[in-house]
Amino acid sequence: MKQADKRAYDKDYAQAKKTGKPFFPYAIFKDTVIASLTVIGIMILAIVVRVEVGEPVNPATTDFVPRPEWYFYFAFELLKIFKNQDALTPVIMATFMVPNILILLLIVWPFIDRGPERRIWKRPFALGMTVIVTSMLCYLTWMGANSPSGVSSQGLPVSGLDEEATKGMAVYMANGCGSCHMVAGVGAPGPGPDLSSEGSKGWDNAKMIAWFKAPKPPMPSYASLPPAELEALATFVNGLGTTYK
Amino acid sequence: MTTSRDIGPKNPAQQVAEAAVDFVDERSGVKTGARWFLFRNIPAGTSWFQTLGFTAMVVFGMQAITGIILAMYYVPDTQGGAYASIQRITEEVTWGWMVRGMHKWGASVMIIIVFLHMARVFIWGAYKYPRELTWITGAFLLLMTMFMGLTGYLLVWDQKAYWATVVAVNIFASAPVLGPYIGDILRAGPEFGPATLTRFYSIHMLVIPAGIATFIGLHLYFIMRLGISEPPWSKRRLRIERDEEDARRAAVREHAKALPGAVAYPATWSAGAKDGTR
Repeated sequence: MKQADKRAYDKDYAQAKKTGKPFFPYAIFKDTVIASLTVIGIMILAIVVRVEVGEPVNPATTDFVPRPEWYFYFAFELLKIFKNQDALTPVIMATFMVPNILILLLIVWPFIDRGPERRIWKRPFALGMTVIVTSMLCYLTWMGANSPSGVSSQGLPVSGLDEEATKGMAVYMANGCGSCHMVAGVGAPGPGPDLSSEGSKGWDNAKMIAWFKAPKPPMPSYASLPPAELEALATFVNGLGTTYK
Repeated sequence: MTTSRDIGPKNPAQQVAEAAVDFVDERSGVKTGARWFLFRNIPAGTSWFQTLGFTAMVVFGMQAITGIILAMYYVPDTQGGAYASIQRITEEVTWGWMVRGMHKWGASVMIIIVFLHMARVFIWGAYKYPRELTWITGAFLLLMTMFMGLTGYLLVWDQKAYWATVVAVNIFASAPVLGPYIGDILRAGPEFGPATLTRFYSIHMLVIPAGIATFIGLHLYFIMRLGISEPPWSKRRLRIERDEEDARRAAVREHAKALPGAVAYPATWSAGAKDGTR
């Protein structure tokens, strides 16, 4: 904003104040009404939708559905968009780039939109940002709210399993891998990649076990599983799409 | 109206009260301050949308009060103590379910109110000169509110909360350069464990609330110093714009008269021109 624009604003605002009305009671009245309605609304929610006590934490069984509170669904859905960890959609986009770009934009925004115009329909860039960011957040939150949270206990539609791989599939099921991964169309479509043809990567079991113990975030570590289970799981996953179809 | 109370000595109780107020006012200037605060003018068009900031502050106050009550019963112990205390608050403590319910729903409602407040300020262009710093302090308040949600979620110590937080902390830890350090700071070490819960507890009820309180103070200071913004389409603004528009049309007509033979543009053609007026 130019100096002249600033002085013009100061003058205009001084005029608005001069012809205005006192803070008490006008603003205080409106504030009190809306704040009271909000607190009453919270009380009604607390009475109608009772809080629950979930299952106690058990870090040994990794059978979990990694669902955050609804206001982080958008971040959770971003992980699913960038789940493939390839060059085009690296996971770092969802874990680092997009959130930090949004935070940075939020903080420096007054220095981007600096003109004197305040009417939204005469600020096309700001209007565009409002529409894009709001619809993106709403869409991702809606997607997060509707994403499948469980995985069927029936097993996976995979055939040709030998004894070790059957054990491996049991480990897969017991540890909730299907809450993040999909195999042959069963399981959640993310945040983890589809494992249907994981075997075609040609990893050996040692490499796969090392991955289970120290995977790339956001996947949590499965180092707490017994070595025999890790071995069976690695055999199972390394054969997906190749030996076991 | 003249009543017997207006003559003769004052009620001694009233005398003492007035003397006490005067004593405090003489030393703090509180009467002058309160009078300035309450009766300063705000633009006449101040709207219902401009109540969201105050509402967010009230909900924060409610979260503080319910949070303090919850802290009286909560035990940040990973060996079953945290979970048992949550169960006790929900099922045994008098009104415990209500206090916990209000705290939980209050968190969601606070996020919604803070977002709506931000949207209002954004759409109105209220972050423009001279209120840039008000916006920036508000942006930090939004981030801290989100972080409150993240740290509070773990405290109930159930499966869903635990694993969602493990994933969230992993995401922080995966950031380049500083990530591993941030991860260690949040987890209180390389692994999730008892120290992680007490650390989240302390961050949730001491560190961020102190930050939020400080930034609310700054935010309010800027609002009181600069005044609440006027709606860009207040009656007063619309009248000014109409007057400016009329003046310009009159000028166009004058111009056309002064130059015989010049094309007299219909005034409406120039109405949409960029003229820098607000």
